[in-house]
Formats: sequence, C-alpha cells, structure tokens
Amino acid sequence: MERTEVQQKVVAILTPYVKNQDALATLTPETSILEDLKVNSARLVDVVLAFEDEFGIEVADDEVDAVATVGDAVNLICSKL
Amino acid sequence: MLSPIWIPAVCALMRFWFRYRIDDVAAARRKYQEIRRTHQGPLLICANHLTMIDSAVIAWALGSAWWYLWHFSAVPWNMPERNNFAASLAARMLAYIMKCLPVVRGGPRADVTNTLNAFIAIVAGGEAGLLFPEGGRSREGRVDIDATAYGVGRVVRELPGCRVLCVYLRGARQDTFSDVPARGDRFYVNLRLIAPTTTATGLRGDREVARRIVQELVDMERQYFDGR
Repeated sequence: MERTEVQQKVVAILTPYVKNQDALATLTPETSILEDLKVNSARLVDVVLAFEDEFGIEVADDEVDAVATVGDAVNLICSKL
Repeated sequence: MLSPIWIPAVCALMRFWFRYRIDDVAAARRKYQEIRRTHQGPLLICANHLTMIDSAVIAWALGSAWWYLWHFSAVPWNMPERNNFAASLAARMLAYIMKCLPVVRGGPRADVTNTLNAFIAIVAGGEAGLLFPEGGRSREGRVDIDATAYGVGRVVRELPGCRVLCVYLRGARQDTFSDVPARGDRFYVNLRLIAPTTTATGLRGDREVARRIVQELVDMERQYFDGR
C-alpha cells in the first residue's frame, strides 16, 4: 500500500474524532493529533484500534505512546504493513 | 506521618464546614471494611465524577477518620488533574502527602503512562486506589460511557486478581457537574464489588474492561434515579 493511501485512510479514521476542523483542512504529517486536531486523548485508543482493524495490524501499548502526529501514525502503520 | 493531622482535618472540613451528610454511611463503611478485610488482592475503587472533591467525599463515605488512622492503606490514592490540585511545588508535595499522584489529563502520553505505572505499583503493594473512569467530571451530569478513559482498563489488567469497587455517589442537590457540592448536601452512596475480566488483549482488552466498569456505574446511576 502506498504511503499516500495510508495517510488518506488515517485521516479518514481521525476525522470523526477531530474537534478542530481548521487544522484538519490544513493537515500535514507534522500535525499533532492531540494538540492541533484536538482529538480527545481518551479517544486515541479508539483511533488506534480502528487503525488495527483497517490495516490488519497490531499495535502495542508502548507504540501508542510514540504516536503524536499524523506522520507518526503513518510511519507506525507503514512499518507494520 | 502527617496522617493524624490531615485526615481528621479533611473529615472535619466536610462534616462541620460543608455540613455534608451521607445516607447509610455506617453500612457503606462496614461494606468497605469487610472488603478490605476479606479481599487479599489489589483493590481499585472506580466512581462516577461530578465535583472536584469527589475523591475526598468518597474516602469519607468509606471510612471514618479514626478508622483510617489505623488503616492508612485503605485511604485511596488517586490521580487528580495536576493543573487543578498541584500547580506549584508546594501543592504537589501536599498532594503527595494526601495520597495523590497528579497527572495532566490529555498531556504527553509518556508522562501519563509513567504516572499510571506508579499508581499500578502502589495498588499492587496493597494500597487502595481510586480512579474516575470517565476521566473528568461528567459534563452532562450523568455517567457517560462514551467518555470512558481506557487507562482504568489497563490498571485492572496489569493487576492480577484485582477487584473493582464501583462507587456511585451523588448529592441530592447535584443536578450537574460543579466544583464542589452544595453546602449542607446529603449524599447517596452505593457500592458494588466486581471482577471485570476479558479474553481480549492489549488496547482492546483495556477498552473492554474499562467499558465494563463504566457500564456498572451506568446501572448504579439508573438504580439511583429509579429509586427517587
């Protein structure tokens, strides 16, 4: 799967949880999921579980801790595909 | 060492300054004492969350100042929002003395994880722990299962044999969330001991256990409103 396709799917998964639509419109790989997109930290687990379902991967607890930006999420997923 | 000072002081504050009363407090305390006596494994208290002093009111509902002086491990540790209760170094020291591990909700995940690990180690050592599985105060004034913070599931899953004491506490005049309950309020309290388990692993297991606990609180809330 191409990296751009992974990012598109990541953004699609994140979208329902995003509270800052402006940040979503100008999204880059450096966009912070919690601070810029204002995704509730408690919902980050739901997001990661959706990644697991969508991409058929498994993400460990400590790997979640390393996901801060959209790019981090894409990198993590690509490393497991 | 300072517990003979702060425990009676906090209890006196609630009893005489705020003039709080707890319905059937003797029964709640008997039940908590029995659980502490008979359950040898880790004990996590999970409660609904409506005010900023819920942890103090819950602790007071579960034991008298006198009993806590002789059973200090039964005073629950909790994880309050650092910006509310431990913004300065002095406040952080005071919070620690009063069995609090401040955490920045929504803060860096590594920091939250470190605090959660410290909390898990404390509860594993036989101290009671108290968490609010909704993460923050219920903005709608009702237990919100969609607000479930899954960290509580991780705590339970990492503590073999852990039992969860679900506590539903609500002041009669507490219509929605607030900073503190109204002076002179009377509290309803209900306790249920559960052992949430799951066959799921990892984050999915955390989510399942956390949702099981919050669902219990939802049921307890329904029981409260049905009985009014």
